[in-house]
Amino acid sequence: MKKKTRLLFLCVASLLLGGSALAHHSPAIFDRTKEVKLVGVVKEFKWGNPHSWIELDVRSDAGNVEGWSIEMNPPTYLVKAGWKSTTIKAGESVTVMINPLRTSEKSGKFVSITLPDGKVLKDTGSTP
Amino acid sequence: MPGSKTIALVVMSLACSLPASTTQAEAGPAQQLSALAPANLAKPRPAPPFNLTGMWLHDNSTGPNSWRFVPPTFKLTPDAQEHYDASQRAAKEGKVYRDDIGQCWPAGMPLIMTRVWPIAMVQLPTVIYMTSAFMNSMRIIYLDGRPHSDPDIVVRSFNGESIGRWEGNTLVVDTQYFVNDHHWMDQGGSSIPASDQLHIIERIRMVNNGTVLEIEYTMTDPKSWEGEWKMTKRWNRVDDTDITEVECLPDLNDHIRSTSSSSQIR
Repeated sequence: MKKKTRLLFLCVASLLLGGSALAHHSPAIFDRTKEVKLVGVVKEFKWGNPHSWIELDVRSDAGNVEGWSIEMNPPTYLVKAGWKSTTIKAGESVTVMINPLRTSEKSGKFVSITLPDGKVLKDTGSTP
Repeated sequence: MPGSKTIALVVMSLACSLPASTTQAEAGPAQQLSALAPANLAKPRPAPPFNLTGMWLHDNSTGPNSWRFVPPTFKLTPDAQEHYDASQRAAKEGKVYRDDIGQCWPAGMPLIMTRVWPIAMVQLPTVIYMTSAFMNSMRIIYLDGRPHSDPDIVVRSFNGESIGRWEGNTLVVDTQYFVNDHHWMDQGGSSIPASDQLHIIERIRMVNNGTVLEIEYTMTDPKSWEGEWKMTKRWNRVDDTDITEVECLPDLNDHIRSTSSSSQIR
């Protein structure tokens, strides 16, 4: 796959067709049969309604920094998964798994994150 | 004997009182009291068979698509069929057709009821207020016997104007006066427009000892489909959550870039 952006596409068995109505927009544009691994630096973490989000800078092998937009559930759900507004901060290095857009645009739906201390957090509200 | 000045004052007083009397006569029936007016709340009424005050969340246990109201099993009008077919084609290409909610338009009835967000319901003798945690969208169901508003005065909306009445153990709610654009009965491959002729009857019952709310929908919209669209949905009481302020702010979609993706068909 695309080495340049250090992406690892994984086919997952789950076929979450249709998606939930939790997002403020249709989730059908995300390919929920795939997971993409992003290794990058947090540019911004927004703790808010109706979505939280992470802006992640991912450096390609060529040295270019590519900005990824990662959409998350609202804090009500994230708290149940162990999140706080202070869980990640700008400048921290993290690894994030996402369901990518079906297009080649650099955006996706949050699946899980590996924090700098190795702790893994998920997103409980993603499959209500 | 009254003097001429006194007579003049009496005549002037009578004259001044005329416009007020005339205005009242022109106003017709007594003005509708606010649903929260103490005099309205205090009017004698039969005790309601249930009180749905509480937090409710749509029951999604039957699957990830349980929030949806489609696919329809009836004939769509040519205009609605065109939208439906376009959304089907988009879905096959991994795209989304006219996702107005993603562009911050209100979900509207009936979809607002089944978003995966809790709904706070407060019931008073004269009115029920429902606030969905999704964009804090508000529904008001009047129970004080008022009729629907004059169609030439009413402000059309995404949740419509709801008038409720008790029928045995059932609350029957009649909702009409919807907007005519940016309002959909469903999204994600089955886009059917809701028009200004949408009319929704809800038969609301409380079941399982007050832990489950069941609503039977009968919906008509001659601009979009033929006959009655019927569906029954359930909500579970959730006592461990509250709603919070949720706004679709201008900067939201700057960061949620999927909403401006090339996979969005406008």
